[in-house]
Amino acid sequence: MTTAVKAGAASTSDTPGPILRVESLTTSFRSGGAWHPAVRDVSFDLARHETLALVGESGCGKSMTALSIMGLVPKPAGRIAGGHIWFEGEDLTQLDDEAMRRIRGDRISMIFQEPMTSLNPVLTVGFQVAEALFYHRGMSGREADRMALDLLEQVKIPSARRRFADYPHQFSGGMRQRVMIAIALACRPQVLLADEPTTALDVTIQAEVLALLAELKTAYGMSMVFITHNLGVVAAIADRVAVMYAGEIVEIATVRELFRRPTHPYTELLMRSIPRVDRNIAELETIQGQVPSISAMPPGCRFAPRCPLREPRCEAAPPPLAGRSGHHVRCVVRAGA
Amino acid sequence: MSRGAAIAAPRRGFVHALRELRRAFNTNITSWIGLGVFLAIVLFAVLAPVIAPFDPYEQHIIDRLKGPDATYWFGTDAFGRDILSRLLHGARYSLVIGSVATVSAMIIGSAIGIVSGYVGGRVDLAVMQVMDVLMSFPSLIMGLMIVAVLGPSMGNLIFAIALTAIAPFARIARAPTIVIKQRDFIEACRALGFSDLRIMVVHILPNVMAEILVLGTLWLATSIRVEASLSFIGLGLKPPIPSWGGMVREGFEVILDSAWLSIFPSLAILLIIFALNMLGDGLRDAVDPKLRGGE
Repeated sequence: MTTAVKAGAASTSDTPGPILRVESLTTSFRSGGAWHPAVRDVSFDLARHETLALVGESGCGKSMTALSIMGLVPKPAGRIAGGHIWFEGEDLTQLDDEAMRRIRGDRISMIFQEPMTSLNPVLTVGFQVAEALFYHRGMSGREADRMALDLLEQVKIPSARRRFADYPHQFSGGMRQRVMIAIALACRPQVLLADEPTTALDVTIQAEVLALLAELKTAYGMSMVFITHNLGVVAAIADRVAVMYAGEIVEIATVRELFRRPTHPYTELLMRSIPRVDRNIAELETIQGQVPSISAMPPGCRFAPRCPLREPRCEAAPPPLAGRSGHHVRCVVRAGA
Repeated sequence: MSRGAAIAAPRRGFVHALRELRRAFNTNITSWIGLGVFLAIVLFAVLAPVIAPFDPYEQHIIDRLKGPDATYWFGTDAFGRDILSRLLHGARYSLVIGSVATVSAMIIGSAIGIVSGYVGGRVDLAVMQVMDVLMSFPSLIMGLMIVAVLGPSMGNLIFAIALTAIAPFARIARAPTIVIKQRDFIEACRALGFSDLRIMVVHILPNVMAEILVLGTLWLATSIRVEASLSFIGLGLKPPIPSWGGMVREGFEVILDSAWLSIFPSLAILLIIFALNMLGDGLRDAVDPKLRGGE
């Protein structure tokens, strides 16, 4: 393709096993003198070249999971309280700030939700794309500029050469998100964490950006964690899905499997609350109640208070994530069925 | 990491800040007048050795205390030295002392303000307490104390004036830093693994540059005024150096008979301060709405 694609061939892409393995991750926040987990016992593997979607409503811990992987949990209010994040044989939770900084933006990158505010308003777009290159790769300004231009062309910015020295306010939301993608991909990361990258965009632009991400993911041989609350987007882009509720993964399966047999009651209710064009539904279902507050989690199943299938044993102890052939569910009622 | 690139960003930010200021300029006639007058003074100062009709130290004993005439346009002083020539050369001292002091204060103060605002917490609290103490002294009093302790010399004068100006720069840089560090693009910088130093220099500094430059213009006026005041009370440049404040003072003794001795240097001080304030005020008015609205 272009120089960018050739230059950064991932050195470690041949080692077997998942590129990223999150093991019983717990990220806690201090509130009122006590630590409360916002992410609890989250485990998943991200295979090479795979796209894993993290789905859930606002505040379910999906963004905090991504920030934990990046080592960007806001201190001192928050901390990783337990678990491991294995990336290329290293436990990211054990690395010091300096080592983590070298990984961020280079081998693991992140795209944020808000393209309108995620670019520095007083620096040119070209410079901002080039910056990671000379920071992490020690390129000269000219080399980095040439490669940045190449990246802008790859993310399909029209007349990229002419727009190289433009400022972010001269770009539309969709174009800015393309620039953000170019920045995130500059150093050819092995893992891309995309935190609702299309949520702030118009629907038509969303589809374009999703297609672009999927295309670049393949071209770059990346693995991706895609965070969204939109199940339609999941179907379009992901290989596997992890559904999160109140800081826990409640169900994890391949996209096909999850859409065919949503097993956890929460997943099932989520599916039913999607507007469908192919069916005539008079009224969309909603899920009764609210997510429990971080400081007032039920002792048993966290979804129990809102669950239509609630049984006494649900509230006794937290249910384990169990299942077989890659389809795991955190529900004692359904798992036993 | 490439040093060239690290320097490139503030430069581009600087370019952007200047562009902002130019846009502000185009809608503001007083800024243009202020800038024009100031640049004219700078030009006269630079060209002083060439355009001054006499040597500023040359004494014409026969022509002592002569009023303005065709030979001595602004008259002569008690030693028969040409006032115009002394004014032109004096402008060099005023501008050099004022600008060196202001630029030093600008650099040190902005650095303190940005670091303090970025780090936050107790460090910020402590630093700002110190700045508040510094600010509680009027700049003239502060300058007076320092020069009185260290003794009058050009270096001490610059040091004294710079020290009084650090706190305002620290404050003007800190306030927007606190706002900017919470914006998404700073989080994006962290996600790219940039160091705190890089975030402050490359990403925050260009965002606060416009405000710092505006304050710099206003403080240049203040610095020149403080220098003139200190020279007036004898704590500034020593005679026979032609400092404007010193010239006003020398003329003061004969003000009833030969008013021009004081009047012309006073007018010069007035003119430059007026010009810089017009410039600074115009710029501030123009930059302010942008500060409130963001980009």
